Amino acid sequence: MEGSPVRKTLKTLIPLAAATVPLALLPAAAHADSGTSYQTTLNALNGSGGSGMATVTVQGHRATVNLSYTGLATTFGGNPYPHVQHIHVGANGTCPTMSDDKNGDGIVDTVEGQPDYGMVATTLSTKGPTSAKAATDITVAPAGGSASYHRSFRLNAATMDALQSGTAVIVVHGLDPATLSKKAQNEKSNLVPSLPLAATAPALCGALSSMPTGGVATGTGSTGGIEDLGMFAVGGGLLAGGGALFATRRRATSKAG
Amino acid sequence: MPRRIISLAGGRRGVIALVAALAGLALIGVAWRAQVSAPQPHPSGRIDVAAAAPTADLGRSPSPARSHPLGPSRPVRIAIPAIGVHSAVFPIGKTRTGRLGVPQPGPRLNQVAWYRRSPAPGQPGPSVLLGHVDSVEGPSVFFRLGDVHPGDKVRIRRKDGTTVVFTVNAVRDFHKAHFPSRLVYGGADLTTPQLRLITCSDYVASIHHHIGDQVVFAHLTSVRHPRRAAASGTRAEE
Repeated sequence: MEGSPVRKTLKTLIPLAAATVPLALLPAAAHADSGTSYQTTLNALNGSGGSGMATVTVQGHRATVNLSYTGLATTFGGNPYPHVQHIHVGANGTCPTMSDDKNGDGIVDTVEGQPDYGMVATTLSTKGPTSAKAATDITVAPAGGSASYHRSFRLNAATMDALQSGTAVIVVHGLDPATLSKKAQNEKSNLVPSLPLAATAPALCGALSSMPTGGVATGTGSTGGIEDLGMFAVGGGLLAGGGALFATRRRATSKAG
Repeated sequence: MPRRIISLAGGRRGVIALVAALAGLALIGVAWRAQVSAPQPHPSGRIDVAAAAPTADLGRSPSPARSHPLGPSRPVRIAIPAIGVHSAVFPIGKTRTGRLGVPQPGPRLNQVAWYRRSPAPGQPGPSVLLGHVDSVEGPSVFFRLGDVHPGDKVRIRRKDGTTVVFTVNAVRDFHKAHFPSRLVYGGADLTTPQLRLITCSDYVASIHHHIGDQVVFAHLTSVRHPRRAAASGTRAEE
């Protein structure tokens, strides 16, 4: 079949076929992503029963945090339960497991989790300062069993570094005291001795990682062009050859006639 | 009889010519029928991801005092009855350049992958699953993803035995150069359990590349908890 006109025809046909692929692609939703985004799933610690997700988008020195959860303790002494929440840095960038419960009270408390997630670098407060100093200020913590938190603020260098190195961890605190062991119910917080252990123990934890960028490479194009080119070529060749043969026969017979 | 046909066709050569031509036509016909191409619907546009998605209907009466969201448990199977998809699901990470990994050649090439850092299906936020539209072997698991329509159901079974059912809100095509990563992998609403199904779209033969990505947006509409004990051995697959 070398040099057959069939092949040439196919060569021109393929781009033609491609041109008919509808390229109805308007430039997608005009928000060009700028800055770097991080995400995490917030999973329950200490049997809190909560679940959530957070994203952090960093543009220059500013961070925009979008954090949601449901299923945490709803009230504390008749009032909406304050759940302090932080970005921890400076350790493994991981969440603790029950094996980190060193004193065996059935609760991984905030200090016991520090080898995994480190110390507070940013307080995700509802207003006012976002530094570590505000870490235990329950008046600026989201309150209630579920929350949808959005805030934009200037990010400190320690948190920025931890985000970039993959060691930043979001921890939401505050357990329902009724779910604690007798022993743990009588314990005091090792952060704020005036508060019970339940108030500051971790309830949700999630290690932040950079959000994937761009779409996916999930195609080879094997079905994008023309399949079974060989079959088309052979078929085309036979057709052309047959046609040619028939034509020459015609000429031969008409001459004879 | 045969004589007559031969003479009608104009001798033995004529018969050969005729047979060759017919065989050629038949071959072209077969090849034509073998042509496959992925559905390429919906151009990109504004995404209206159900601000008022029915998320309360979770198969149980919503408790005003305290809701019980699903915790983490990785997806193991997916079914999209509308396009005949039934596949195992396996976890996948990111590439070194920070993009989503994709199923590699091997036994999982044509399976669906779940991005392990996204919520498990049923947890709050968008759970991200992806599959090939085609591979070197031909059509792959998400070949017909473009045929999915709003209202279609996506069933996912988790490792903990829970089956979560999502309902499609929108199917959109994005140019790869303008892929809205934050909208797809995050989005404004992280409170409700959602789903994103992603595959390639818009193949351009002249450059041998897909230039688009297709994304199915869905939200959780029901949860089926595993039946206790007795159920475990009897239910083979959704």
